[in-house]
Amino acid sequence: MNDQVTREPERAAASAPVPHRDARRARRYSGPDPLRRILPLLEVRPGKVAAAIALGTLALTCAIGLAAVAAWLVARASQMPPVLTLSVAVVSVRAFGIGRGVLRYCERLASHDVALRGMAALRANLYERLAADDRPVTVRRGELLARIGQDVDDVGDVVVRAMVPAGVAVVTSLGSVILLGVLLPSAGLALAVCLVLAGVVTPWLAARAAARTEARGAAARGEVTALSLEILEESAPLRVAGRFGARLGDLDAADARLSAIADDGARTSGLAAALGALAQGLAVLAALAFGIPAALSGTLSPEALTVIVLTPLAVFEATAGLPAAAVQLHRSREAARRLLALLPADPPDVSDTQVTRVIRTSDTASVLGTDDAGADGSGDGSGDDAALLTLDDVAAGWPGADGPVVAVEGVSLTLRPGSVVALAGASGVGKTTLLMTAAGLIGSLAGAVGGRSAVRQVIGGPDHRSPDGLPTERVGDALFVAEDGHLFDTTVLENLRVARGDVTPDEARAALDAVGLGDWLDALPAGLDTVVGTDAAAVSGGERRRLLVARALLAPARVLLVDEPAEHLDGQTADALVHAVAAHARATGRAVLVATHRLTPLAVADEVLLLADGARGDVGDPGRSGTPGVSGIPGPSGSPATVVARGRHEDLLATDPAYAWAAAQEA
Amino acid sequence: MRPLDPRLLRHVHAARWYVALTVGLGVAAAALIVAQALLIAALLTPVVRGDGIVAPDLMWPFAGLAAVVAGRAVVAWAQERYALRAAARTIAELRRAVVEAWALRGPRASWPTAEGGVATTSPGPAAPSGGGSGASPEAEVATLATRGLDALEPYLVRYVPQLVLTALVTPALVCVVLGLDWVSALIAIVTLPLVPMFMVLVGRLTAGMSQRRLATVERLGAQVLDLVAGLPTLRAFGRSFGPGARVRALGDASRRATMGTLRIAFLSSMVLELLTTLSVAIIAVGVGLRLVEGAMELQPALAVLVLAPEIYLPMRRVGAEFHASVDGVAAVDRAFALVSGGAAGVGSSTGSGVSMGATDTVRAAGEGVPVARTLVLDGVSVRAGGRGVIAPAGLSARIPLGSGVPGEGRVVALRGPSGSGKSTAVLTALGLLEPDAGRVGLLPDGGADGAAVGAPDDVPLRGLDDAGSGGLDAWWSGLTWVPQRPALPPGRLRDVVLDGAAATDQDRALAEAARLTGLDAVVGSLPDGWDTRIGLGGVGLSVGQRQRVALTSALLDDAAARPLVILDEPTAHLDARGEQAVLDTVRAWRDAGRTVLVVAHRASLLALADQVIDVRSAADAADAADAADRADAADRAAGPETDPHGAGTAGREPEPEPEPGPAKTSGLANGQEAR
Repeated sequence: MNDQVTREPERAAASAPVPHRDARRARRYSGPDPLRRILPLLEVRPGKVAAAIALGTLALTCAIGLAAVAAWLVARASQMPPVLTLSVAVVSVRAFGIGRGVLRYCERLASHDVALRGMAALRANLYERLAADDRPVTVRRGELLARIGQDVDDVGDVVVRAMVPAGVAVVTSLGSVILLGVLLPSAGLALAVCLVLAGVVTPWLAARAAARTEARGAAARGEVTALSLEILEESAPLRVAGRFGARLGDLDAADARLSAIADDGARTSGLAAALGALAQGLAVLAALAFGIPAALSGTLSPEALTVIVLTPLAVFEATAGLPAAAVQLHRSREAARRLLALLPADPPDVSDTQVTRVIRTSDTASVLGTDDAGADGSGDGSGDDAALLTLDDVAAGWPGADGPVVAVEGVSLTLRPGSVVALAGASGVGKTTLLMTAAGLIGSLAGAVGGRSAVRQVIGGPDHRSPDGLPTERVGDALFVAEDGHLFDTTVLENLRVARGDVTPDEARAALDAVGLGDWLDALPAGLDTVVGTDAAAVSGGERRRLLVARALLAPARVLLVDEPAEHLDGQTADALVHAVAAHARATGRAVLVATHRLTPLAVADEVLLLADGARGDVGDPGRSGTPGVSGIPGPSGSPATVVARGRHEDLLATDPAYAWAAAQEA
Repeated sequence: MRPLDPRLLRHVHAARWYVALTVGLGVAAAALIVAQALLIAALLTPVVRGDGIVAPDLMWPFAGLAAVVAGRAVVAWAQERYALRAAARTIAELRRAVVEAWALRGPRASWPTAEGGVATTSPGPAAPSGGGSGASPEAEVATLATRGLDALEPYLVRYVPQLVLTALVTPALVCVVLGLDWVSALIAIVTLPLVPMFMVLVGRLTAGMSQRRLATVERLGAQVLDLVAGLPTLRAFGRSFGPGARVRALGDASRRATMGTLRIAFLSSMVLELLTTLSVAIIAVGVGLRLVEGAMELQPALAVLVLAPEIYLPMRRVGAEFHASVDGVAAVDRAFALVSGGAAGVGSSTGSGVSMGATDTVRAAGEGVPVARTLVLDGVSVRAGGRGVIAPAGLSARIPLGSGVPGEGRVVALRGPSGSGKSTAVLTALGLLEPDAGRVGLLPDGGADGAAVGAPDDVPLRGLDDAGSGGLDAWWSGLTWVPQRPALPPGRLRDVVLDGAAATDQDRALAEAARLTGLDAVVGSLPDGWDTRIGLGGVGLSVGQRQRVALTSALLDDAAARPLVILDEPTAHLDARGEQAVLDTVRAWRDAGRTVLVVAHRASLLALADQVIDVRSAADAADAADAADRADAADRAAGPETDPHGAGTAGREPEPEPEPGPAKTSGLANGQEAR
């Protein structure tokens, strides 16, 4: 039933006014143009861009040249000179006719090559920076990452759709103005004015209209999306409750608002379109107005007059694409902004990191409340020599608007080789937060995480850089096995090899057997070489969960911090899985800390810590545990949870009535 | 693929209006282009020829040209101005149609994994996992209804106008040129068809290759994204730096593959550009040469020269906007497929699965409240789509409905492993889903009591709208359904909860109900308490919180008006205290004299039940009856306490005396359990 939980953020993301928030974020983000900041990551070579622009210019020159030479040809021909005098013009008109298509083809290939190289470099650079990022791994982060694909494409498109067209427009416009200026200066000047109108004012208006519509329409669009989703998903309850018609009416109203906003934006873009058409006509009129008197007075030849009148008809093709280019520029800039927000700021700029983090948080969680992020650094303690991991009076939580929000506090525990400790408690009590703190993924708010396997490294310190200047990876010996770990779009074996590169097929089989996936593996068409689909869509929730645990068993980490292994599993299978993990730990001398809200299998644990918050009526909020405030309601508003009981499972059953009751319900 | 779907014009008012406007503007544009060419020629010709005229003689043509320029600007403005508006309205109309059509198709279509979502991988033969599949149909429809239909905007704003211009302006200009210079017109007539012909030809030749390459590109792109998406996992394992080089290599491979595709894809546009530009050049040269020979006048020559590029311009733009058309046409196509296919959907008011007894319209005087009746499921089997399973299979049960009189309540639990069809059974009982075999109906209390299900007096009634009982709407108005994911109307929390509440002392009732369901804790954490706005534009509630709101609201219902409560027990993340709230609520409903039909996943709820109905699934055999038989056989073998009234029923009655007064005995049997 993971669906139930994850769909909430999805819907929020859908209904949230994304571009609008981005626009707001832009104001908060007091940096230089994001597009300019992200451009170095594209590793664009100026020579290649120049080549593309040159090819584009030549292609357009062919079109303009065709118009100009044809005009001259017709004017000259009407004077019936010897045919031979026209041969150069005839040949060049034909050459222009052929050249334009061919050159345009070359230009498109060249510019797309630049763009694709840029996208590839951007993806790689993003990946490397994200890999070097030290911020906590959260669920929402994954969703953001999934957006990278579109954003990278949008940023890359700036080359093809904005940079090259703009460059071509500038060069050809200048050339045309000079050509006309040589023949008749006033006509050249008039053309220049009209080109500015069509090439600068019009695109500016178009981009402004698009941006405004996008920003203002975002809320309405979000509403429409949310309503559509609601009606689609909840149609049966809505109909049974007799509210279906009313919701459809709401959808109509929301769509009407959206239409009204689009209509409003259309005023400006209509103006832009009219100006674009007007500019061309005005250039022709001006050429006629200045040219005819000049020709009549003999200062301008009839051929030149024809040229200056007919050339503008072709020149404006250069500016025709610029409104779209301006809109693309805006879109690319927003995409760049989103990508930059994902990235850790440049290593020396620490304060900026904080800014970015806050932004990212609001980006993902503003509708449903705040969430994620975390403090850097981790407690560095020296524990018991035999202890792999110790928690000493640790408080775990997330930073909130008014200082950190403590989810759990006062937790002390020791993990020795072969020990199995369980964290039990209601959903949302903070088990996941505590596990992530133990793994060093988020800093502890108080107390110390220590022991041989604890993560000691402080991120971004000058002495922890890889050769390329990026902060080195920091991985302790403690592995956090997240509830929503990623299965890669590759074979089962390769997915298991994520844990360790040298996992043999036999080891893989043994691990899958241990988690009860032996039969499943046998049923697979190609065994270990079966490809599991994108994001493992072909794998059921329960299989996926066990696959993740199998992978964790293969990891070299000495401490496994397993979050909710029972999720998506029926009782029996879930219990068997916990037993398998415990048996594995005891056999290999590892330590396991398992968080679960299912109590039955905990008989296998050496110690069970029951987390609860006595003051608050925390009744099984099915929000994802560890992300308080998923619901948009201030997270743990009451006192933080703490360890209310601890001991062996049997003892707790005997001494703690609430524990016994809860366990009995699972039967 | 049709470039302009006629269904769009037939069914969408905004689109019809818009295309008419575009045609009008296209005609105007054609006239203006011709006028512009003729006027420019008229202005230039005397000057170039040196006819010895003076500037003022040209005032009128010049003014005319100025008017034409203004006219073209107005046309451009109107096209852009109304295209965007029409696009927004067309999208809205289509969106509503799609949403409504899909929603009325019934829950099978929209909730294909109602059970499968919680399905586990338990090796039971009848419960293969239906969960874990990626995109659900409703997610796909949602994508179509939102982002998919948005592809219509570029299609309508950019592509359709050029299409109309190609159809209008191009022939008109060719005709004009024909009048001016038939040779040039002939060139145009010969070359124009070449353009689409060559494009199709090039497209055909390269289609296979670019398809293969495109697949490669998509796969490479997906791999990169997969790595990025899996970054948190890689980091947890300390292996995130290794794939950096791989991302780069994949990106490079992706670029090479894409360039291969583009080299081919751009060929067709090169053909387009080449043919159109070359044709213009040929016309220009031909005109020039005929001028030299004296075979032509200057004025038509100039006009032809201006008109020649305009002949080909719309066609070039159509080619440039081709991609917009592909997406837009595809979106329209899918939308209409859904809209037309949805009309015959199950669960619409015409095709209901609930057949009610002939006398079920008997109601308590004045109140409009149905008298106590019995809901009968008779051999209900439903094929689980795509799973090769019938779930439920041959389900038979009799569920006496409550009366709203305290003490006459009853808890009926549906029991069965995941995937056995419990939630599906509820959907059939609601009349949202028509069973593939068997019937669902209502028996009036009294006369028909004791008669075997399926006896002649249980007259099946299809087409409930004609039955005078109000059909499904009447059935629905007499029950309250609390699904796993309740839908709440937006508004103040207090109003939402009190919607349809019967209690006179609302504040006290509200507080009591909220305490029972645990909603008071939620309210306590909300910024404005009971006055907090929830839903759109307000605070979002988690599923668990929505569940509690729905439970509270259902507690406050008029027990007499809605004597049946159907609860699909929440399973996800429900801990002990949340479970207790559900149990308390169910007890409270029973105490109020209502029948509670609950899909129970837990022992605690089953323990509370007065009647337990076992739901089983079966492998999909050649026909459902066969499967039902086998299910019956299994039931007889397994259950000694077979309901005497149901032929092949799968029910269990824990009470000593099952039928005559189940409501009364239930109160006694469970008196000690109630708080």
